[in-house]
Amino acid sequence: MWTRLPRPVHDAHDDHGVPDSVLTLTAIILLLRPLDVWWLAPFALAAACLSLLSRRVRRAPATWILVALFVAARIVVVWPLSDNHIYLLAYWCLAIGLALTSANPAATLSASSRWLLGGAFVMAVLWKAALSPDYVDGRFFRVTLLTDERFADASLVFGGLSRAEMARNRAFLEPLPEGAELLTPPPFVEPPRLRVFAAAATWGGLILEALIALTCLVPARGRLDLAGHGLLLVFCVSTYALAPVAGFGWLLATMGLARCRPHQRALRGAYVAVFILIVMYSEIPWTGVLADWAGR
Amino acid sequence: MTDDPADADRRGGWRSLLPVSLLVVVAGAQVTLATTAGLSPWKGGGFGMFSTTDDGGRRYVRVFVSAVERSEEISISPSLEDAARRAAVLPRDAELSRLARLVVDRERRHGRSVEAVRIETWRVEYARDTLAATTRLAREFVYRVDPTPASRS
Repeated sequence: MWTRLPRPVHDAHDDHGVPDSVLTLTAIILLLRPLDVWWLAPFALAAACLSLLSRRVRRAPATWILVALFVAARIVVVWPLSDNHIYLLAYWCLAIGLALTSANPAATLSASSRWLLGGAFVMAVLWKAALSPDYVDGRFFRVTLLTDERFADASLVFGGLSRAEMARNRAFLEPLPEGAELLTPPPFVEPPRLRVFAAAATWGGLILEALIALTCLVPARGRLDLAGHGLLLVFCVSTYALAPVAGFGWLLATMGLARCRPHQRALRGAYVAVFILIVMYSEIPWTGVLADWAGR
Repeated sequence: MTDDPADADRRGGWRSLLPVSLLVVVAGAQVTLATTAGLSPWKGGGFGMFSTTDDGGRRYVRVFVSAVERSEEISISPSLEDAARRAAVLPRDAELSRLARLVVDRERRHGRSVEAVRIETWRVEYARDTLAATTRLAREFVYRVDPTPASRS
C-alpha cells in the first residue's frame, strides 16, 4: 500500500477509477472554506490548488491522506470548537486517499461514502430523536427561528411574523436568572404559520434524515437505490436553503456523487447541480430578498 | 464509479471501513463527553448540531478572582475569549484550568494579586410550552493559584 501512495493507481477514464468530478469538488470545498488555522491553511490550500491543476497530484493517494491529516490537526488544535462537517471532511479525505490505493478505487470510495453518510445521519437522528431534551417537543426550532439571525428572514417570510413582532419575541426570549419572573413580561407572538413552519422543520428534518440513514445502511438496488439518492438530493436542496452550513451540503453532494454508477449520468449531473445550488444559497441572501419583497 | 452498489460494498474491504470506524469511535466519545462532562451536543464530532438549543452561543462563563482584600468578577478580555469559549462548550477540569491559568497570567501582568480563580459556566434553557428563558448554573470550578487546583461541581 505505502509504495502506491505518491502515484496514481487508476486512470479517471477507467471504470474502476474514482471520477475526477469527485476529487475536484472535494478540492473546491477546501478552497471555499479554508481551514482557519494559519499554519495549516496554506498547506491545505496548496494541496487543493495543485490537485485542481495537476491530474497526477489529484489522483495521488498521498495528497488526500495529507489533507486528511491537516484537517485532523485543525480539529485537534481548536478542540472542541470544530463543527461536525470538519470531522466529516477529514474522514472523507482519508476515504479518498485509501480508496485511491485500492484495486478498485471507485467501488471502495462508493462503499466508504455509503458508510460515512449512514454513520453521520444515524448520529444526527440519534441526537434529535433520543439524546436531545428539546428537539422532538419542537422547542429547538421554535426558539431558533426567532433568535438565530441566520433564520430570521425565513421566519419573516414563511412564519408570517412582522419585524416588530420578531423584535418583541426576541426581548421575551432574553434569559432571566433562574427562578426570576418579570412583573410585566414582554408580549410573545407566535402566529400559527410560524408554529407550522417550526413543526415542519422539526419533523420533516428528522424523518428525512432517518430515511437517508436507512437507505445508506441497508444495501439497496434498483428503485430503492435511486430513492436513496433522491432523498439525499431533497435533503440538500431543502436543508441548505436555510441552514447556514454550506460546507456540510457541499460534502454531502460530493459524497452522493461518489456513490453514482457510471451510467447514471443524470444523477451525477443532479449532484453537481445541487453542489452549485448550495454555492448560490451561501452567497445570495434569498430569504432576505423575499422578506424585503414581501414587505416584511 | 461502480457497477453495482451492493457489489461495491463487498469490494470495499478495510479501506472503506476505516473512515467510518473513526467516525463511530469519535461519535461515541462525543456522546460520552456530552452526557458525562457537559460537552455541547453541537460540538465534538457526534453530529448533534441542530438538535438542541444547548449550543455554544447559549453558554457563557463568569470569572471571579480573589486575593487578600480582593474579590471581584472580571470581564472576559479578548485574550481570554478563545479559552472562555472552549470552557463554555466543554466545562471539564482541563478546559477550565486552562482558562484559569490564563486569567492568573493576565492579572499578574497587570500587577494584580490573585490567589484563586472561580469560574462559573452558565447555560440558557427554555421552558417546554411557554419558551420562557432562564439561565442555569451548569458548573462551578475553583482554581487555587498555589498550591494545586481544586475543583467542585
